[in-house]
Amino acid sequence: MSLIADEIITFSSVLRIAYNLLAGRNYLKRKKFREKKKLVGISLPFSDLAFAAGTVPVFPIRMHTFKINKYLAYLGSASSIFGWNNVSNFLSFVKNLGISEISKIVDEIIEDVIDTINKKYNEMYDLGIENGISSDFCFGLKSLVGAHVSKGRNLDACLNVTIRCSAYNKYMESLKAINQNPQQIWIDIPPRNIGNALEILTDNISHAIREFENLTGNTITDNQLREHFKIGNQVKKSYKTIIYDISASDFYPCNPATFSEIMALLSITFQDYNSNSIRYRDNLISLVDEMRERIRKGIGMDVSKMPRIFVTPIFGGWEPKTHDIIYELGGRAIYADWEVLELLEEIPMSNHLNPVEEYARFLFNATESGIGCDNDTLTDSYLRVAKKLNADGLIFFQLFGCHSVSNCYTMLREKVRRELEIPTTAITFNKIGENVEQVKTRLGAFMEMFK
Amino acid sequence: MADTILLPEFSLFLKEKKQEGVKIIAFLAHDNIPEELIDAAGFFPLRMMFGGNDELMEASHDYLPPSTCAFAQSSIGLFSTKPNNFRFLDLVDYFIVSNHCVSDICASEIITKYFNISRLNFYVPYMTNESSLKYFKLELQNLKEKLEDIIGEKISDEKLFKSIKKYNDFKKKLSQVDDLEILGSEKIKIIQKAILYGPTFLPELEKYILEVKTNPHQNLGLSKDILLTGCSIFINDNLIDLIEEGGGNIVYFDTWIGSHYYSQVIDGDLINSNKDPFDLLVLRFKNNIYGDHSVPNFLKQKLSLIENYSRNYKKKTGKKLGVFNHIIKFCDHISLMASFLKNELQEKGIQVLNLERDYSRANRGQLSTRIEAYLEMMK
Repeated sequence: MSLIADEIITFSSVLRIAYNLLAGRNYLKRKKFREKKKLVGISLPFSDLAFAAGTVPVFPIRMHTFKINKYLAYLGSASSIFGWNNVSNFLSFVKNLGISEISKIVDEIIEDVIDTINKKYNEMYDLGIENGISSDFCFGLKSLVGAHVSKGRNLDACLNVTIRCSAYNKYMESLKAINQNPQQIWIDIPPRNIGNALEILTDNISHAIREFENLTGNTITDNQLREHFKIGNQVKKSYKTIIYDISASDFYPCNPATFSEIMALLSITFQDYNSNSIRYRDNLISLVDEMRERIRKGIGMDVSKMPRIFVTPIFGGWEPKTHDIIYELGGRAIYADWEVLELLEEIPMSNHLNPVEEYARFLFNATESGIGCDNDTLTDSYLRVAKKLNADGLIFFQLFGCHSVSNCYTMLREKVRRELEIPTTAITFNKIGENVEQVKTRLGAFMEMFK
Repeated sequence: MADTILLPEFSLFLKEKKQEGVKIIAFLAHDNIPEELIDAAGFFPLRMMFGGNDELMEASHDYLPPSTCAFAQSSIGLFSTKPNNFRFLDLVDYFIVSNHCVSDICASEIITKYFNISRLNFYVPYMTNESSLKYFKLELQNLKEKLEDIIGEKISDEKLFKSIKKYNDFKKKLSQVDDLEILGSEKIKIIQKAILYGPTFLPELEKYILEVKTNPHQNLGLSKDILLTGCSIFINDNLIDLIEEGGGNIVYFDTWIGSHYYSQVIDGDLINSNKDPFDLLVLRFKNNIYGDHSVPNFLKQKLSLIENYSRNYKKKTGKKLGVFNHIIKFCDHISLMASFLKNELQEKGIQVLNLERDYSRANRGQLSTRIEAYLEMMK
């Protein structure tokens, strides 16, 4: 993993995002108890209303105490005094001096971030099963249940947005059986945009806004919504820049495994923006700047000979060693789940537009054109992104127990072969670390096709 | 015991329908499909309500991973292998892709795509609030338009009212089966047959109910009474045999193929007074509070139903009622709620057996043991 760490320390924004992800518990405690903010549980990237309402959205696993590498903790403390850029510059300087002990420490930090997150996911998975969710469900749901069982009582509300996955919808219903206190705020997205369904969804969102107002005691104005959408749009713009302008290019600002690691980190943190949208936006803008600066200076790696392997979906769980293995086999893994599901589309925010209706359009677009009512649409979404990325191969993570997305693979394989004519394979996944050898074997066979 | 003549007879029935020029619209057996609308358009609504086996499940694995609901797997398997008794599936003209659960979407989509059956869509909102009811009406309008395009004429309100009334009367009659003092296996056989044939079966149903009421009751005294909740027992499924062999008797089917279907009745005055027939169908959807599709009150309603039924049953018969929660493997709705349902009912003193299984023969022995152990405990 040291090859990754070598690269990552020069991205102070990545350190910040990683630190904010892991140190969420203290941040959330401060928000809840000192600033009397309401914590709202969310899953999948549906945090917009919670931000606009002035509440603090949280992807539930972040309420846990993570075992943060003590040096990252020091860095976090130091950053509050010296600023993250200075800390990062200092680390680069020290590392360039060749002080091996310091280099080792930095390597450990980054390795620990990824390992810590994965260990916590697995811990939540086990907790979910212990507390009654059948082991037949997907990794993501089991982990979410575990996170709610352990920390859900700290939430003031949960924002539940219905999607086509019936297990996910029932999981959201089960939250009130797990913890009775949090208020359950629902947005029912109609399955299709037919007739005046847009008006119906707009009403549903307005209803959810009223519930947020009851929760906080404050009115949510159109301008507050627009203000948040503006921040969200900036986040999405930066994210898309990383996906399309940088990940699809022939020169990377770091080695491809590091790059994938960063994209995986973005995939996790995009769901709740690490509970602070402005901070997250600033970090993403910095990240793009840092990447561009390195590319401009020729720092990084020529990846023109490395096949682009689009690895998806990862949001419900995947084997995080995948990108390392692909890199070792001569390829580069690209993660872009939220783009597939059209959750990186910007929300128009002009003053003459009704922001609630625009948000409804955004949700409808994600439902109809992204995840889709059915697998025909969903598979088209994968194809669309694979084409735009100019992918050379597609690896599909087939989650055990996923009856929604994973079920589309047969159809996807046919379409990929017919329309894209690139190699594709499916890798089954149940739990992190459980099947690494098999993943290696499958990826080895797959990558042979590019030699 | 499986009804060996049901499917051959039904096959002939469907062939006759086709000869009469009636087209067939099939759909997975869920409780929110407006069969009245299908009927009013002159089609025959065919509910896919058939249990599976190893071969059928296996046949679906070309299209879906094995970790898919066994019912969805088997439904695909039926189209893929077309066993002798299911040749009537060749007669299906259209298939409705709907979203009772995501396996419904996936399986229906596969059936239409890979077996060349024309597709119709009918998507159901996930909640049952006022907005959702408005959306449900949009879907009804959309389906009506699609059906009208096919038949080349408008479906009149009069025809739709007539169909609504026909199905309503049929369901009211079918609900009387609940009160018959017969073995659960007999009960489910007649319910399955009735739902499969639809209101055409009404005269035979009336005759059957009358016969049972006038003839001496079967001796059910020694059996343990069971309420079945969760997934349905479909045609050709031997689960009920295992339960009865173990000494149990299902007295109430709180499932799709059971009370969810025939409890969706509309008050007669409303049928006669309402000007928009779609409002009646919306009302039927709204009243379907025990179905498992909708959130967020499924668990609450289910608990309340089972608790009330158990209490009233004990008051009426003096007998304790057991609860079997039938979970077809990988069923999202029933499986995810199973532990919550069991815990909450057991806190109220109602013992629940979560009976999880697929359609493979291999698990028959294990199922029997679990059923027998539970029934033993009821003594």
